[in-house]
Amino acid sequence: MLLSAENVSKSFGSFKAVAGADLQVAQGEIVGLIGPNGAGKSTFFNCIAGDFAPSGGRISFDGHDVTDAPAEAHARLGIGRTFQIPATFEDMTILENVMVGAFLRHARRGEARDRALEVIEMTGLKELAGQPARNLGTPGRKRLEIARVLATNPRLLLLDEALAGLTPTEVQRAIELVRSIHQSGVTIVIVEHIMEVILNLAQRVIVFNQGRIIAQGKPQDVVNEEAVIEAYLGRGHGRKAAH
Amino acid sequence: MRRGTVALAAALLLYPWLVSGTGSSAFLQDMGANVLLAALGAAAWNIVGGYAGQISVGHAMFFGAGAYLPLLFFHHWQLPPILGVPAGIAVSLVIAVLIGFPTLRLLGHYFSMATIAVAELLRIIVSNWDLAGAAIGVQGPAISRGWWDLIFRSAVPYYYIFLAVLALLLFVTWQMQRSRIGYYLRSIRSGERAARSLGVPVRRYKLYALMLSATFTSLAGSLYALKTGFIDPESGLGILVSVQLVITAALGGAGTLFGPLLGAVILVPLQTATNTWFGGGGTGLTYIIYGGIIVLIARFEPGGLLELWHRHISSRFNKRAEARDAA
Repeated sequence: MLLSAENVSKSFGSFKAVAGADLQVAQGEIVGLIGPNGAGKSTFFNCIAGDFAPSGGRISFDGHDVTDAPAEAHARLGIGRTFQIPATFEDMTILENVMVGAFLRHARRGEARDRALEVIEMTGLKELAGQPARNLGTPGRKRLEIARVLATNPRLLLLDEALAGLTPTEVQRAIELVRSIHQSGVTIVIVEHIMEVILNLAQRVIVFNQGRIIAQGKPQDVVNEEAVIEAYLGRGHGRKAAH
Repeated sequence: MRRGTVALAAALLLYPWLVSGTGSSAFLQDMGANVLLAALGAAAWNIVGGYAGQISVGHAMFFGAGAYLPLLFFHHWQLPPILGVPAGIAVSLVIAVLIGFPTLRLLGHYFSMATIAVAELLRIIVSNWDLAGAAIGVQGPAISRGWWDLIFRSAVPYYYIFLAVLALLLFVTWQMQRSRIGYYLRSIRSGERAARSLGVPVRRYKLYALMLSATFTSLAGSLYALKTGFIDPESGLGILVSVQLVITAALGGAGTLFGPLLGAVILVPLQTATNTWFGGGGTGLTYIIYGGIIVLIARFEPGGLLELWHRHISSRFNKRAEARDAA
């Protein structure tokens, strides 16, 4: 297993945001993480990315125990992530933003620049390379976040609602981008609200509700499961919808 | 840009000679040396405060260490003050590491407040410490015992010493700006969490920035003490010293290579003018001017004057380009 999270929990005070969640991701998979708002998927996601240290359980990546490792150690091992609310470096140009990522594997400026330009080309940001990041709109920012993390050569890419807030055309373009990243050999875990994206991309879906995993399996099967429909629409809807 | 840098270097090199023909050449040469010294301190602060975005308001602790040590070397052992310069840097580095570890975890205003507290603490300790001259201060050699005492009648030798050190610092900053550490520091200023997610060891790089900044701030303090020949807790460790470094850099443009120099070119003559016009009462006025500048920068141009300049220039270039495209 590339990523293995066992019995992970995270509490804020007395509130248990994640209660005993397990997740195994094999090399080459695309796994979708879904669930209603407040289900704990973002908290779980941040535990895997190293932003939060879990209150309990164990997380390992490629044989390394990363449970309590800081975020920068995750990046070094090959776990990359994007943010739900884009956290681009506003004062820096798009090229400079991506170079910060590229510097992780290339200490020299020239090499980092070459790597950054490669990624910028691939993510379709080439015309904007010299612009400050603050000039970008939401789709551009989301794309820049993906470019920036790709420059670190991740083996596992964690996408936190990387497609939220995009128009349907942009969503299509973004799906293509994610697919091409996957084809280049990167394993992907994606948190997403848009069902279309999950159905299109994920080979396997994990459904969160109230801090627990309530279902998992193939996307088409999972979305028809009673427990999942109930989690999204409330009790009583599950049976009606199934009929 | 390159041509501009050469012109600037030429102007700085020729300045003492250019003003030598005027009636007040000694006064203008002395002011020139003070401008360079202010630029040096502000450029040193700029590494951690500008590039890394960690607003220290306690840099007087490094300036003071640099200023005190050389004069203490003379005061206690009659050694040439210049031998105390490396000692000042060493003490500054120790302080930087000691305070850096706990305070660099703090974000934004909390870091600024912690640095103020440490600097004030140091000022109070030194004010009550007889070995460090207590509240009276420490004096350097009154008459030169040899060239190594670096005592000159004219401000011109100081001017060129300051210029050489400033040139070194700007070169180091320029190198830093275009290598990994420069990109990392700017990413930290923009967003620590995102920087960390890309593998930037945030605390380590902040500490590097603080150490580099402390080294050159200490040097600025040493040069000030060598030129003035006297230091007391207020002029070496007072909060006004820290504030002046911040204001000078911020006025010109924090996080830019030449911003601190621009800030110094404006501020030092302004201070000299208020001091001459209002005599001893001018000190209070300095505070008022600083306060006014803080308000104006924060309200209208957080990027400093250099940013204003760049915007102006780039908009003119764009207009020219548009005109060319239209033709």
